[in-house]
Amino acid sequence: MSNVKGFQEYAEEARLNEELVTLLKESMPFHVISDRLLERIAAIARRVSYDPGEVIYHGGEPSDDIFIVVSGRIEHALVQGVASSTPIRTMERGDVFGWAALLKDRPGRLAKTTSLSASEVLRVDAHKLVEILDTDPTTADTVMSRFATMITKDFAVSEDRAQVAPQRKGSRVAARGGGNGGGGGQQTISGISLTMFRFAQWLRSPRPYLMFIGFSILIGFWFFAVEVWKLPRFREMPGLTEVWREWLSTDPIYGLSIYVPEYYTHIWVSIRRVLIAFALATGLGVPLGLFLGWSLKFKEYVFPVFETLRPIPVLAWVPLSILMFTGLETPVIFLTFLASFYATALNTMLGVQSIDESYSRAAYCLGANHRQVFRHIVIPGAMPFIFTGLQISIGVAWFSLVAAEMVSGQYGLGYVINTSYTMVRYPTIVIGMVTLGIIGYATSAMVRLMGDHLMQWRVRELALGEQS
Amino acid sequence: MISAVENIQPNRTSAPTRGGAIRIDDVVKIYDPEGAAVLAVDHCSLDIAAGEICMIVGPSGCGKTTLLNAIAGFHDITSGSIHMDGEMLCGPGKPMAEPGSDRIVVFQNGALFPWRTNLENVIFGPVMQGTLSKAEAIDKARGMMADAGLNDVEYNYPGEISSGVRRRVEIVRALMNDPKVLLFDEPYRALDSLTKSVMHEALLEIYYRNPVTIFFITHDLEEALFVGHRVVIMTTRPCKPKKVLDVDIPHPRDYGVLTSKRFRELMEETVDAVHEEALKAFDRGEKEG
Ligand SMILES: Nc1ncnc2c1ncn2[C@@H]1O[C@H](COP(=O)(O)OP(=O)(O)OP(=O)(O)O)[C@@H](O)[C@H]1O
Ligand SMILES: [Mg+2]
Repeated sequence: MSNVKGFQEYAEEARLNEELVTLLKESMPFHVISDRLLERIAAIARRVSYDPGEVIYHGGEPSDDIFIVVSGRIEHALVQGVASSTPIRTMERGDVFGWAALLKDRPGRLAKTTSLSASEVLRVDAHKLVEILDTDPTTADTVMSRFATMITKDFAVSEDRAQVAPQRKGSRVAARGGGNGGGGGQQTISGISLTMFRFAQWLRSPRPYLMFIGFSILIGFWFFAVEVWKLPRFREMPGLTEVWREWLSTDPIYGLSIYVPEYYTHIWVSIRRVLIAFALATGLGVPLGLFLGWSLKFKEYVFPVFETLRPIPVLAWVPLSILMFTGLETPVIFLTFLASFYATALNTMLGVQSIDESYSRAAYCLGANHRQVFRHIVIPGAMPFIFTGLQISIGVAWFSLVAAEMVSGQYGLGYVINTSYTMVRYPTIVIGMVTLGIIGYATSAMVRLMGDHLMQWRVRELALGEQS
Repeated sequence: MISAVENIQPNRTSAPTRGGAIRIDDVVKIYDPEGAAVLAVDHCSLDIAAGEICMIVGPSGCGKTTLLNAIAGFHDITSGSIHMDGEMLCGPGKPMAEPGSDRIVVFQNGALFPWRTNLENVIFGPVMQGTLSKAEAIDKARGMMADAGLNDVEYNYPGEISSGVRRRVEIVRALMNDPKVLLFDEPYRALDSLTKSVMHEALLEIYYRNPVTIFFITHDLEEALFVGHRVVIMTTRPCKPKKVLDVDIPHPRDYGVLTSKRFRELMEETVDAVHEEALKAFDRGEKEG
């Protein structure tokens, strides 16, 4: 009989030991240690229970053991005078504390720890721990440098935390609970959640309400000036209700409303012209700007010509463009393209010139060749400026489009506005204008979103700046 | 602070070095913007042993960065020569060195590419040179970042982490290329003293693991004495060594040495020499401007 009991005891001990090894594997920084060593560490570990409210150690007491929480919750309160961003923390299963025992000449305890609930901890004698680790210098080295990082993170370098904290509230806990399994997932905020976050932020700020007030004032002024007060200069103006009714009418008096297919033809023709012109301006302007910024020689050839042509207004190009291009469509696209192209090229060039020289120097140091520097430093480095350029570009594209469509063309919103004027269809003018405003805003918002998507790094930097 | 680390591997410093001896021989650098010649470095000679940490201190504007840029290959020298392991980097007939991954600069204001995550920054060198595939580079980078305690910022962009952590990432990015020489241009200038002290220990930690030659420009005398094997005090412009101090405090060092008697003696010696040069620079500044 006694034989069997001995065996049971042995089996129980083995099970406990295995459980400890499992626990150690979940605890930073023990998770990097091999099972063989962990078993030896588990063998010297002592399991101790504490009652709720029981103090495990006081600040200043000599430190000999380090602790790993098995169950329950333990409050870890730093003594006064120890700098940290989180003076009081709660430790849970898998958390390690009491590492003052590992420090040089063992300073007294830096914190007071109290058991918050009935809890169980492992106590490991630091001397013996170091002895065990000593037998495997490579692992020991990693463990110790992890410890060092964890300690500095917790005490000295609060700046580090303060900067990153707003977006990563959960990540420390996650890192502690789950080891380092999750890779970067826990900290990487995806574009969508970021957009949602910013939207929520926006709703909480006064900005949407101010925006609402702004629109109300504009529309209200229009309504009152034309329809209520009938101000002298506004007598000929189409009123708000008249325009609104016409716009939504199934049978519009002047022939254009959201139920008329022609309305969408005009919109589509204008959008198509702008998109073609914008694509051309981007496709030609960005490379030109990149080379202007990259090569001094190229700039010396091209830039003076560029700077002479740039101030010529779009309207001045109308006669020549009609002479140069055949048909009705190409001159309009050319005129729309022109100003966009200048804006894009110029901003791209400035973008390249704005790149800190140390980035390309660093890239050369790291063994990149000229082509790689162009591809991996110049292009992404100029990206913020390029997108500023594209924002301006899409704006001036709409601007020039309307001018061009007023001069020539058969369709398009500019054409609508112009012909409605000559044919005295005043509400239609306003419908054309408002439609332009909405579509213009939508396209430039799309450019901005695209920029945000391509420049996550910048979005995140700005988001951090906004919060702190 | 963390001496248990040393107790475990007392023999780490004796790891073999991989070359990287720098010989600066009679280097002169004259900047000549629009004919107004500025003599920045004047017949400067300096020998740096392979695996040595050589700290350069000197008054502002004396030409330290100029010297570093010449070694890195960012600009030419007017005369003299610079050799590495007996091979000429620049000298007669070849005024400008080729920048390359055997000599990597850690810049004063940091030059992590803000559009790449920290991990993407760290793999930049080997991937560009084609020495490692992207997957291999990522593996190696993860390991090195974990060793430096940086594994939880892998997926952050440099703009999201503190400047102290950024510097550590930048050093790891350099070490990924197994450089022979690291050239530091006041990398810790912008850091507060607490972060700085952590950075010094982190730097030494990294150095003990990868004993490369370090050419380290600084204004901070305590930093110079704490980190360096030798401290070279430069004269005010034009730059040349005024005094070379052997810091005979054995490595590995920890913050305990700051309060040691020897450290204070060395500090006094350095302060005197630097103060003299600073006064000269100041006097000249008064006269010139
Ligand atoms: N590209 C340049 N053209 C002309 N003069 C320059 C140029 N770069 C540096 N200088 C001048 O050369 C001198 C040395 O500059 P350098 O940047 O090497 O000094 P430094 O010792 O690094 O100074 P600091 O400690 O302020 O960084 C300075 O007087 C500076 O004005
Ligand atoms: Mg400098």
